[in-house]
Amino acid sequence: MKNKKNSVLVLGAGIAGIQASLDLAEMGVEVHLIEGTPTIGGRMPQLDKTFPTNDCSMCILSPKMSECARHSLITIHIMSNLEEVSGTPGDFVCRVIERAKYVDPVKCVSCGLCEAKCPVKIDDEFDMGLRKTKAISRYFLQSIPSEYTINPNYCLFLTKGVCKLCEKVCPTGAINYQDKDREIDINVGAVILATGIDPFDPIGFGQFGYHRYSNVVTSLEFERMLSASGPFGGHVVRASDEKPPKKIAFIQCVGSRDESIDKNYCSSACCMFAIKQSIIAKEHSKELDASIFYMDIRAFGKDFDKYYDKAENHYGVNFIRSKVADIVELPGGSLELRYTFENGDIQLEVFDLVVLSIGLQPRKGSRKLSEDLDIRLNKYGFCHSDTFHPLETTRPGIFVCGAMNGPKDIPESVVSASGAVAGAVKLLKLERHDVSKGEEEVIEKDVIGERPRVGVFVCHCGINIAGVVDVKNVAEMAKGLKNVEHSEDVMYACSTDCLEMIKERIEEHDLNRVVVAACTPRTHEPLFRDTISGAGLNPYLFEMANIRDQCSWAHMNEPEKATAKSRDLVEMAVGKARNLTPLKRLPISIDPEALVIGGGLAGMTSALAIADAGHDVYLVEKESVLGGNMRDIFFNLDGSDPQQFLAETIERIENHPGIRVLMDSNIGEIAGFVGNFRTMLTNGSGEQEELTHGVVVVATGGSEHKTSEYLYGRSSRVITQKEFERMLHEEKFPPGKLREVVFVQCVGSREEGRMYCSRVCCSKSVKNARQLQSKKAKANIYFAYRDIRTYGFSEQYYSDLRNSGALFFRYTPGNKPEVEMVHPDDPDSRIRVTLFDPVLEKDVVVDADLLVLAPAIDPPEENLKLAKMLKIPLNSDGLFLEAHVKLRPVDFATDGIFVCGLAHSPKDMSESIAQAKAAGSRALTFLKKNSILAEGTIAQVRKDRCSGCGYCEDVCAYAAIEIDMEEGIAVINDALCKGCGACVASCRCGALDLRGFTNEQLFSVFDSLEIEAVEGIL
Amino acid sequence: MNTTNELRKSIKALIAEKKVDLFLAWEKGSLPLTATPLFVSTEDQADRAVFDVTCGNNLSIYFTKDRKQFANRKVGIAVKGCDARSVVLNILEKQIQRENVVIVGVPCDGVLDRKKVLAKTDGREVLELIDNGETVTVKGNGFDLLLNRNEILSSSCLACTYPDAQEYDVFIGDARGEVPNESRLKEIHDFQALSASERWDKTRNEYERCIRCYACRNVCPSCYCNVCFVDQNDPKWIGSTCDYTDTLIFHVIRNLHVAGRCVECGACQRACPMDIDLLMLNRKVAMEVKDRFGDIAGLDINGKPAMSDFREDEKQKFIMG
Amino acid sequence: MSEWQPRILAILCNWCSYAGADLAGVSRMQYPPSIRVVRIPCSGRVDPLFIMKSLQSGFDGVLVSGCHPGDCHYISGNYVARRKFAVLKPLLEFIGLEPNRVQFSWISAGEGDRFAKVVTKITEDIRELGPATRLVKKT
Repeated sequence: MKNKKNSVLVLGAGIAGIQASLDLAEMGVEVHLIEGTPTIGGRMPQLDKTFPTNDCSMCILSPKMSECARHSLITIHIMSNLEEVSGTPGDFVCRVIERAKYVDPVKCVSCGLCEAKCPVKIDDEFDMGLRKTKAISRYFLQSIPSEYTINPNYCLFLTKGVCKLCEKVCPTGAINYQDKDREIDINVGAVILATGIDPFDPIGFGQFGYHRYSNVVTSLEFERMLSASGPFGGHVVRASDEKPPKKIAFIQCVGSRDESIDKNYCSSACCMFAIKQSIIAKEHSKELDASIFYMDIRAFGKDFDKYYDKAENHYGVNFIRSKVADIVELPGGSLELRYTFENGDIQLEVFDLVVLSIGLQPRKGSRKLSEDLDIRLNKYGFCHSDTFHPLETTRPGIFVCGAMNGPKDIPESVVSASGAVAGAVKLLKLERHDVSKGEEEVIEKDVIGERPRVGVFVCHCGINIAGVVDVKNVAEMAKGLKNVEHSEDVMYACSTDCLEMIKERIEEHDLNRVVVAACTPRTHEPLFRDTISGAGLNPYLFEMANIRDQCSWAHMNEPEKATAKSRDLVEMAVGKARNLTPLKRLPISIDPEALVIGGGLAGMTSALAIADAGHDVYLVEKESVLGGNMRDIFFNLDGSDPQQFLAETIERIENHPGIRVLMDSNIGEIAGFVGNFRTMLTNGSGEQEELTHGVVVVATGGSEHKTSEYLYGRSSRVITQKEFERMLHEEKFPPGKLREVVFVQCVGSREEGRMYCSRVCCSKSVKNARQLQSKKAKANIYFAYRDIRTYGFSEQYYSDLRNSGALFFRYTPGNKPEVEMVHPDDPDSRIRVTLFDPVLEKDVVVDADLLVLAPAIDPPEENLKLAKMLKIPLNSDGLFLEAHVKLRPVDFATDGIFVCGLAHSPKDMSESIAQAKAAGSRALTFLKKNSILAEGTIAQVRKDRCSGCGYCEDVCAYAAIEIDMEEGIAVINDALCKGCGACVASCRCGALDLRGFTNEQLFSVFDSLEIEAVEGIL
Repeated sequence: MNTTNELRKSIKALIAEKKVDLFLAWEKGSLPLTATPLFVSTEDQADRAVFDVTCGNNLSIYFTKDRKQFANRKVGIAVKGCDARSVVLNILEKQIQRENVVIVGVPCDGVLDRKKVLAKTDGREVLELIDNGETVTVKGNGFDLLLNRNEILSSSCLACTYPDAQEYDVFIGDARGEVPNESRLKEIHDFQALSASERWDKTRNEYERCIRCYACRNVCPSCYCNVCFVDQNDPKWIGSTCDYTDTLIFHVIRNLHVAGRCVECGACQRACPMDIDLLMLNRKVAMEVKDRFGDIAGLDINGKPAMSDFREDEKQKFIMG
Repeated sequence: MSEWQPRILAILCNWCSYAGADLAGVSRMQYPPSIRVVRIPCSGRVDPLFIMKSLQSGFDGVLVSGCHPGDCHYISGNYVARRKFAVLKPLLEFIGLEPNRVQFSWISAGEGDRFAKVVTKITEDIRELGPATRLVKKT
């Protein structure tokens, strides 16, 4: 049994599981990542693009997948299940079943010959059954690990004892029909669950004809249809006639917000998903007509409303607020939708293709898992967690993240994953560690000043390359190239024996540069670099020529030209190799303390996460009390008590030995960079103090927008939700009866000047309306809204409110509720509110005893100052802009600075807690190291050439360059440079260069081919 | 109004009030048709300052080529429209600080191109030039020519859009305002109307003449690298021959280096001994920069130089597929 | 005799276009064997001189490809690159270089088919132009 208490088991290798594993591993924790399918990646690889940036899903995910696979502290167990967890927090034993793969992953070279020969075609699960795969296959093309596996349910030999074709063609003898399931016990300190969700299966929705009508598809199927790597190569065509559809309908809330099927929750992501798909579909074909049928558009996330606006006004997507009653298939396959508008009008319209925006539901098997692990599920079957502990299951030591405990989009999943890690590490005893250790064990040969002696190894990759390219010819040609000392062809360059042989050749021929011509550096460069490093060469003295993925596989029918191309590619690689120089990754020391700016819920939670992991925290608050906006929150939808939780949190902060609270304090200046920040602080009495710290967490919060609309400030009967909540709490209602209460939503949100949804107001107003009903049973509630955005599990409270008799009036920005005082001279006068009822299509007039406004959440003005000080960006709304809206939601592009809470965007307490823990956790990935290594391939300055014009500083996205105004030259911060080279290409003076991709190295590539001016026919 | 007198007065006042330690102006050159730079640090010296049609030099060049000398000194500078744009670029490119410069704009009606005058006199030496406004009179041994002003002005001036300083502290005389100048682009449009091979032939004919004397670069107010890329050897950026591919690459890259930075002062063209039409490519680049990024070099002191900036929603029709 | 095969330099960013090129191969999409790929971290690394030098040394065309706007692994490197290309391309055409010799594209890691299409298109276009002569330095 593996006995490592400082390790964590992560169940589920979707984006949440991957993120949790990477964060843990970066903190020095050993991770066992358990995944049921044959690959890591989860749902994201199935997606074509992601909202609201239309980022390519695979582009952003694959670096994280390979990082996960490469990390020495992460062990991936594919095709595995978690059966049982016994023991206590800090000391669990997990029983894991690793199912038989029938292919030896050590021997398999992923050549794909087996799949080509396999006679059994089965539905491809990854492509939602829209394409066939084989009984021996890779889950998808970019699977990690990339080795093949056999599906025992379909394999002819395993089911019927015949065939064995794969064994016959396998060039490395990797097939093993005797493979058995294995049971292993893993000792860990904590468990993180991240099993994700299943898409809702609409087969039971007879009225939409799914599976009966070939042109009704689910949104996930449609996503595969849109994907360039999908079954139709990105050409959207109908299944019935393979013609491109001209009119597409998206039907929202299929399997969401539906009491009749026990799914009275909102799946949160489908509105944006449909908007994205409609935009992408329109980008595929401009003439395409796309309509989205919806109840409310729930574009509640950061920058979502702008995306919604873009879809409607720029792309011309039709948004039709109506309920689709049923669909009838017409001859020829088109579909007639019958739908009902708010006012009861019915319309018929024909579409070519219907996409059902299916909701998210708990994973099949989550009931069994909950029983096996002894954790509670909520009433919808999602893992239970409560408002103030959003990342904890009911069993101590087992944490939850991703959509397993409720619908989430990608960034929320990533946030929850990092957040869950903060809980897990509390149970471990982590020391600070040195990442540079291990790298310097082999003594490196000094090659500087030596003549280049290049060794070339040309790989056959079985017949993958050699079947097309004349590899012997290529290897022979290479012998004649300048500086090439040795060249040979090898069967599998990546096989263990060949790697050993490369080391021997380095020794034998005193090679100081190595070129391998084989598959692709994206998968194999790290392996070869390690190899030459083992032979005493600096790993950067390696160059690869891609003669498989980009040559033999792409020119299978043109062997001669493929050979000519391979020769050129090798020549170019040698050209570059000749000029390669050894690179060092320099260590940057990390101060172990953290600075947290803002003493609200997010700041306090983040401070606790860091301090609980053993690091000192400076918690800076400009006011004289802790708690921020939470001091005005008295109720919760689920009945829990915010003030009690706040009091407990403040008490923990104040008594924590690792936290120093600096009240009444302002930040004057922050200098330095990751690991080495210096902050000048001024406290209330004007005293200055300098703090040194390794990281910064920005949790500056937000505040209720000060509105002047709807008579606010002029009438005592017009108040904000914040004021109303306090009124409910203190039960100090205005004198007289309180019978007619009007709520107005979106005051200042989603309109010019603030094109964003403040996210929490719908749920907050629903909550306070329910409170009012419990205290003043006779009060009539009128709710003026644009879209009700009670996403996730808040939906049930919204339907409760509706069912309780509250009246809802939808308004549009051009037709806002009108208000006047019944007695204009009396500030205590009741308010006459005119609401347009789109159902009855007439005005309704209410003399309100109270008008409660839900104002927007504004970012604090001082964000601008802080942004300048820290050189971090704000978006157009004044909210801090994270490094990547999908996959780096709490990081900034500048290392060592993190964001959480309202400073990032409006969010509720639960979300703030999760994000604050995530920021804490991301901070710990730095703090847990004594030092980090700067990149090897970073920019450098030749001072004598620099004229200090500052273009490099301007184009650097990482604030890694500054102009020293005294000297008039650029200075690069090695710790921050990521090595993109944008500064280098922007430097007219030739003062900048990029190590590893220097001008000289690249010039030698461009010049390496001997091309005659007018070359003859090949 | 006599600009020279006003300029002298202005310089004297700035020196007297200690607003500047040094003032950069022009004085009459030792040869006819020329003015040379004048560094004024006393009121007396100010009387040597002149401003007329011979003052082609862009004085901002000293800010970059002799940077150390100007560090932490208050410097005044007399500028034409194009010179002012250079000063703005120098500020944006951190070569000098705005608070250290006092910019004095002078009303400019264009400067002469000596080569054009000498072409009119068939190379005979000019001893005197009289500016009559619409015309100029050039006198030499045994000749006395009345020339139309447009015949001898620098090509850059004939197509000038911003003759006045847009950024200044003091402006002498009357500003001419923005001159809508279609001719500046007409040449480009005409050239673009030719076929690719006709354009290639013309380009080749032009740049084949280049003898790589680098005069264009040396007079350029925007060329201030410590070592120009053509002079760098480690690595060698371009071949050092006078093969037209080498010379053309030098000029194309130089054009790109001054993209969003070329103020179209025409100094390069006036300096070229081979009479290469250097401005054409500069204007083409400036046109693209303006059309695509909305940027005109050196006009906006609060902006960013075009090539150090980007917007997410720029036109990208040139991207394939 | 087979038809003339141009040699085209393809400068691809590591994170998107190079990955897209790999995907094209993994998916066994077939495209003309005309390109010679150079891998760089980001399209932002591309100095216009790279393109000029490659043409001068005899490549029949140059393709530079990076991540789609918004996808850049380095946040904004492709935007920085785009400004350079936006000036370079019209300038090269202005001096009389054939428009199809130098091309720019955005190809994501998931767009193997797009990569194959772009290479096919640029190859066909260059084949139509014939071998490069302008800007090629004769030695």
